[in-house]
Amino acid sequence: ARRKRARLRHQPCGLRELEVSVSELGLGYVSDETILFRYCSGTCEAAARIYDLGLRRLRQQRRVRKEKVRARPCCRPLAYEEEVSFLDSRNRYHTVSELSAKECGCV
Amino acid sequence: MILANTFCILFFLDESLRSLASPSSLQGSELHGWRPPVDCVRANELCAAESNCSSRYRTLRQCLAGRDRNTMLANKECQAALEVLQESPLYDCRCKRGMKKELQCLQIYWSIHLGLTEGEEFYEASPYEPITSRLSDIFRLASIFSGTGADPAMSAKSNHCLDAAKACNLNENCKRLRSAYISTCNREISNFERCNRRKCHKALRQFFDRVPSEYTYRMLFCSCRDQACAERRRQTILPSCSYEDKEKPNCLDLRNLCRGDHLCRSRLADFHANCRVSYQTTTSCPSDNYQACLGSYAGMIGFDMTPNYVDSNPTSIVVSPWCSCRGSGNMEEECEKFLKDFTENPCLRNAIQAFGNGTDVNVSPKNPVFHATQSPKMEKTPSLPDDLSDSTSLGTSIITTCTSVQEQGLKLNKSKELSTCFTELTTNVIPGSNFVGSPDSVDGRPRPVITLTAVTFLLLTLAL
Repeated sequence: ARRKRARLRHQPCGLRELEVSVSELGLGYVSDETILFRYCSGTCEAAARIYDLGLRRLRQQRRVRKEKVRARPCCRPLAYEEEVSFLDSRNRYHTVSELSAKECGCV
Repeated sequence: MILANTFCILFFLDESLRSLASPSSLQGSELHGWRPPVDCVRANELCAAESNCSSRYRTLRQCLAGRDRNTMLANKECQAALEVLQESPLYDCRCKRGMKKELQCLQIYWSIHLGLTEGEEFYEASPYEPITSRLSDIFRLASIFSGTGADPAMSAKSNHCLDAAKACNLNENCKRLRSAYISTCNREISNFERCNRRKCHKALRQFFDRVPSEYTYRMLFCSCRDQACAERRRQTILPSCSYEDKEKPNCLDLRNLCRGDHLCRSRLADFHANCRVSYQTTTSCPSDNYQACLGSYAGMIGFDMTPNYVDSNPTSIVVSPWCSCRGSGNMEEECEKFLKDFTENPCLRNAIQAFGNGTDVNVSPKNPVFHATQSPKMEKTPSLPDDLSDSTSLGTSIITTCTSVQEQGLKLNKSKELSTCFTELTTNVIPGSNFVGSPDSVDGRPRPVITLTAVTFLLLTLAL
């Protein structure tokens, strides 16, 4: 199991998906309806730029100290799904946009 | 050795039965020699290529434009044009639901047929091609969805309408078009206007036209045990926007409004053709074709005649368009008759219930009714012979026929032949013959044919 986890952690940045009920998302909607939640996950080591190397070096030298900086690219959605609609437990329809990722990338 | 021979005979017999049966399967697909007519767009092209036909057709269109039928027929030229066109391919052309240029096709159809009919007939002929598929893939899917074979405690809890929404959400196309109509129909415009009804209807039509019926029917016709489920079912089309209105019009007025629109008129005529109560069939549906009835019911959603469930009663299913028979005057009887084709229609009710329960009819009384009781998990497991207890009674009886041979200490080193016994008997279907129901099931375990079983059994008993 640990090896599997390690392998998952080292996968390159990409789209993953999960079947979740709307209530599980904790957004304040109460609905048993199941939706497909897509998110971005994976490493971005290969996408490091000279910028990241430079920033890391400057941080080591404590030239950059006080601000919070991130010296490596981050796996984030590049595009989101437009909208998803569902019926809640009080029989009201809701439409939520940009709930789920559509495309991922290292930024 | 005798038994080994029996197997050979059985195998041979089976093969010959199959070869006998194959021609009938061909006939079955063509449905009693019925050939699909040309569509009206094509018929129009054929007519345009011929000078006599095209000039008469032009004349007829001018005759029909802005005049009622009687004044038109009073004109000799118009009448002559109509007579000539009755010989042309335009006369018996049909349209397909969701075809390219559907509206154009229907315009051509009605341009001829309005002149032919009385114009004010109660039931009009459908301009759509009949749905010829045998009963049918979607019912078999429905039987799996409803999972009636599963643990009864589980199925008592489950909400089929919620499951249907889940299935739709997990399918990219269904989710996209569902979200599109929900957001359109749910968008409030102002305090006075609940929504843009026209746009809502259009989005609903796109959903029902472009999403396969295995998803849309499942949401629309799911079976319910409690009110929460039935309310979800009623809410499928967002009735507060697409269905309800400030006032309830008279049903005959609504019908006239619908007949003013070629698409609505056609969908209504199609509903009447496919869901009209028949007293000759066991299901009360024309040709016992549930699918055609459900299809033409769903085909009216998104038009003036949009039907829906009138309440959230889980068991008693009443559907109706948004109209009543108040203010009918001396047309009260006709109005009631029209409305009852929705509210008290045994064909429509049986079709909805059969779909929801995942059961299908087997029209020939000689054949036992196959209740679709297989659970989805059977898809994964190999069908033989471990899960015998799960299978249908008929399937079990055949398989045990074979296993009993095995159990009786048959030292057949030809285990191949034995497996032939299984596979041949269980996967071999005679399509077409007298099966109107669904002989094979979706999970790739077709059901055997009873006559074949009988012969097999007889031979086995003889041999033993």
